[in-house]
Parts: sequence; structure tokens; C-alpha cells
Amino acid sequence: MNTAMLDVQHVSKLYGEGTTQVRAVQDVSLTVAPGEIILIMGPSGSGKTTLLSMLGALLRPTEGRITLNGEDLTAASESRLPGIRLRQFGFIFQDFNLLSALSAMENVAIVAQLAGLRNGAARAKAAEALEALGLGERLNFLPEKLSGGEKQRVAIARALVNDPALILADEPTANLDSKIGHEIMQLLRRIAKEQGRSVVIVSHDQRIKDIADRVLWLEDGRFKELVTMAEDPVCRMAVEREQGISAEWNGETYYFCSRGCRAEFLENPAEFLRGAVS
Amino acid sequence: MLRLAIRNLFQSRARLLITAGGVALSLLLILTLDAIFQGVERQVSAYIDQSGADVFVAQAGVRNMHMASSSLPASALEEVERVPGVRSVTPILYVTNVVSIGDSRNVAYVIGLPAEALAGGPARVVEGRGIPLPGEAVIDRSIAVKAGVGIGDVVKILGRTFIIAGLTTGTVNLVSSVAFISMADFREARAGSDAMSFLLVRALPGVSLADLAARIEAQVSGVTAQPTAAFAAQERRVIRDMSTDLIAIMNLVGLLIGLAVMALTTYTASLSRRAEYGVLKALGARNADLRSTVIFQAMLSVALGFTAGLALTYILAAVVPLTGVNLLLLVTGESLLKVGAVSVLIAGASAVLPILQIGRLDPARVFRGGIGR
Repeated sequence: MNTAMLDVQHVSKLYGEGTTQVRAVQDVSLTVAPGEIILIMGPSGSGKTTLLSMLGALLRPTEGRITLNGEDLTAASESRLPGIRLRQFGFIFQDFNLLSALSAMENVAIVAQLAGLRNGAARAKAAEALEALGLGERLNFLPEKLSGGEKQRVAIARALVNDPALILADEPTANLDSKIGHEIMQLLRRIAKEQGRSVVIVSHDQRIKDIADRVLWLEDGRFKELVTMAEDPVCRMAVEREQGISAEWNGETYYFCSRGCRAEFLENPAEFLRGAVS
Repeated sequence: MLRLAIRNLFQSRARLLITAGGVALSLLLILTLDAIFQGVERQVSAYIDQSGADVFVAQAGVRNMHMASSSLPASALEEVERVPGVRSVTPILYVTNVVSIGDSRNVAYVIGLPAEALAGGPARVVEGRGIPLPGEAVIDRSIAVKAGVGIGDVVKILGRTFIIAGLTTGTVNLVSSVAFISMADFREARAGSDAMSFLLVRALPGVSLADLAARIEAQVSGVTAQPTAAFAAQERRVIRDMSTDLIAIMNLVGLLIGLAVMALTTYTASLSRRAEYGVLKALGARNADLRSTVIFQAMLSVALGFTAGLALTYILAAVVPLTGVNLLLLVTGESLLKVGAVSVLIAGASAVLPILQIGRLDPARVFRGGIGR
């Protein structure tokens, strides 16, 4: 499995020159561990998309350094960047951005083929990825015949097919209803935790906070506040550590969404601790 | 990526139809014009090819019949007969003139034939006799049918009236036909001169025609002798030389029309896929991958257009003779090669602008919703 540590050090991005110069991202530092889900929130124009583009090797920072598994992406030549994006990153877009002339399977397979797989192997791998996401019956459907949730699952399969270290998602729930959006986020969380892939999500959707390990607030190009998330061991909801109700047990601190969950936990902690994240 | 090119192409059927149809029509223009001139070339030398002669002897320096005049002295006949390897010699008289039937006037090669002609007569006589007697004419059936006349009716040739004694086929082309009258009538129309236009030589079996032509030129002064195939080739070359500029202009017109249609449709097709190409670039596709997709798409469009254009040309070639027009459309391998090269040129040139645009696409804009939205 391809797992990675993304390290962002003092990254800034400036647009324009002189009096018209705009500093879209200012001195941002961030580390993303394998299997970690980070949600970047913030108002429009805060620099979220610029930051996401730089993390995905789509845009070069003006200052600072981004490394993935020790490889300096900011120093990589232009000719190397497509290969890095293809193999190290999985992209999920707000509008799904599937190729309208290709079937679900072909949309996924084409990315595998770009990475060097032969047609047959690419199609087999694509089919496997789609079947794992519950789209086994939709392999040969064109995007126009798929629902929003199905399209986003195809996009997730496409993002995963080259076994990337890091998944970058731009407003992945923006075009989905709340139920499907929640399902998609749970799916991303499962992928991150089971496969050890890091996920960075940029979104306005407050509900996504539930699945994130950390929530970062970006405003005027800077991180203003760091919010770390923990899972309530009773109801499994994500809760902000800083605002959550906590309890100590056996030398560890656990966080809860409500006093009721804490009380339930304290009655029999061992019952809830299997698989919980403190 | 090739699959993407194919799917992109066939997803928009209307665009594909316009592209392939436009290219097909422009290539049809080039192919048809080529086919017409190839057909005319073949038709124009049909009389020579089917004359039955092995060697054509003409006045020195005369190497074909079309728009040419040849005059040989009567003595040349016996001199040529004495050349070793010669089996027989048939003199003919020739002039380009008009066959008038009522109000119908048709340009024709008028051939004066001796009564005992062993060569130079009509190859395919469909009605009546092939060698005309004095006062008679043998003309092409299509001319007679067009004018509504037949055997026994009258025609006017060289200012004299003749009775139609025979009808032939295979001597007519787009602009002229071949009419036969007796040598005596021809001579009379030319004020009794005993000069001859050409001597049609038949060789003894096993004799090299090139050697025989060379021997005739060496032994008979003031003549040019050529094997029939070479003489016919010269005839065709005259037509080709006359049509080269016209063909070049029409080829250029066809090329420009095809290029305009292809450039426009390839450009709009690529423009409509701009967002998708941007997504592919963001996902990690290289410019080379996208370039190959655009070029393959253009090549495929042109290939479809080429196939359709070729099919239309063959259909036209089959239909035109049924309409009664004296036109033969002949598609040659050389013509196919030329049109194939033009097609490749069209496809390549039409892909240039889209390739440049795709090369400049900024993949980062895919996150900013700025590509194609």
C-alpha cells in the first residue's frame, strides 16, 4: 500500500506584482500523516483552493516547500509533475469532472492507462475499484446515466485506481444531497482508515467535520485556529477536542458529543473502546 | 487515450457527420476531377490504342494527333513498306473538324480511310459497315443517337454531305468523337492532294516495335515513327499538360475547403472538450497524451471523410455513364495516393490550433472551476 507523509513548510503564494500583488496563501505549514483526514474550511477567497492546488502539485508556491515522502515537490521539474500527480495523488472534484463520452469503467481505466497499465489490466483494475465501491452494476453506464452519488463514487474510484498516497478533495459534497453526501464522506473515511491513505478535503460543508481527524480554518491565506477532532467512542461521531466533553480512563483522554455518551461510557469503558480513536 | 478519441468523435453524431461529410465533399472534388481527366486521357487515345497499328509514322517532329497536323509525301508509303520487319502499311488522312447533323455540331477527328485499310478503322462497329465507301460516313453511335439519326441518314463533314453507313462505339469522349470517311472523299475535300497524314504500320510477328520504329526513322527521311503505345502516351500527355494547371487549382480548392471544414470542426470539438482535457491534465495526463488524442481524432475524421469521398466518387463513376454524358471517370492508384496525402495534410493542419490551446491549458484551473465553465 502506498502511504505517505505530506509536509508543508512556510508555503506562500503571491499573485500579481507591485501594488496589485495579492497574497493568496501566507506562510502556511502543515503535516499530514498516513491515514489522516484533514478538513480545510474557511470563507470564500480565503486561499483554500490555492492551497489545495499547491498540495496537489498543480501550482508552485512562491515561497516555502512541500515534500511528499521526502521528495521536494516544489523543486520537481515541470516534466515530472504530471507523473507525480498521476501516481501520488487522487483528485476528487466538486463537479465530479467525469469524461462524458466514457463509461464509468473507462473513466477509471483511462487514469490507470495513463500510469502505464495496458488496456485489459487497466479495465480489470477499474472494474475491481468500482465493484468495491458498490458500482458493479454500473460499469458500462455513461456519466449522464448515473446519479450524483454514483458519479462521485466513480470519481473516488478514479482517484484510488493508481493507489495514491494522498487524496485531495475539493468540495466533494457540494453537488450531493445531505444523505448521499454523508455516505460519500463515510466512504472516504473508511478508505483513509482501512487503506492508510491521507485525505485533504476543502469544503464549506460543516457536516464533514464529523469524519475529519483535524479541521483547519483558513482565513486571509493563514490558518487561524487549529481544531482537532476525536471520535466519540459511544456514538462514533467526530467531536472537536477543544469543545468536546472529555473523560479520563486508564491514562487516556476520551471525547464525547454529550454528557449522556460520557455517562454511558463511564459505566463500562471496555465495551466501547474496541476500535475507538482517542 | 485512443479510445477517448473514438468515443469523443462518435458521441456527437451531428458534428461527425458535418466533419466527415465536409471532408468527403472536398475530397470528392479532388478525386472526381482527377477521375475525369484520367478518363478523358484514356478516351482521347482510344482511337490510337484500338487502331490495330503497331507503329505510327508521322511527319518529322509530329508525335501525336490532338491539335497536330502531319503531312507525308506519297513516296513515304513505299519507303516504309520496304523497311525490314514491316508486314503492312495503311495510310490515313486526318483532320480535326465538325460533324454536323441538322442543328447538331460535334467536334470530331475525321479520318480518311483507304478501301483496303488493314489498320486505322473503327474497332467496334455496332451497325452497318466499318470501312466507308465514297459518299459514306461512319460515325459514333452516341452522336447519332443524340441527333436522332441512324443508318441511311445524312451528315455533313468537311463541308460535304455523307450518308451514314456505319455506327461505332468507344471513340467518343467529353469533347470529340471519331468519324470515318473514304480516303477519296477526304482527298477531294482537300483539293486533291496526294499527301498522307499518318502511316499505320503492322509489324511481322516477333519484331521489336521500338527497333522497327528506329529502323523506319533511319531509312525513311522526314518522318517520326513511334510504337503505338508511345504514340498514345504522347496523345495523353498533351491532354495532361493542358489540364495540369486546372487540376492543381481545383486540388488547391478542394484542399482549402477540406482544411476549413476540418479546422473548424476540430477546433470546436476540442473547445467543447476543453474542460475535460483540463481535468485529464490535472489528473496527470501529459501534453503528449492529449496531443495524440486530438491528432488521432482528426485523422479518424479525415479517414471517414476519405472513405465516404471515395465511395461517392465510385458511385458517381458508375452513375455518370448511365446519364448519357460521354464521360469516363477513372480512379487511379496515383490519384488515391495523392488524395490520401492531402487527407493527412488536412488532418495534421486542422489539429495544430487545438493542440496549441490544449498545451496552454492550466491544470490548476480545474480546482478553481475556470476551465470551460
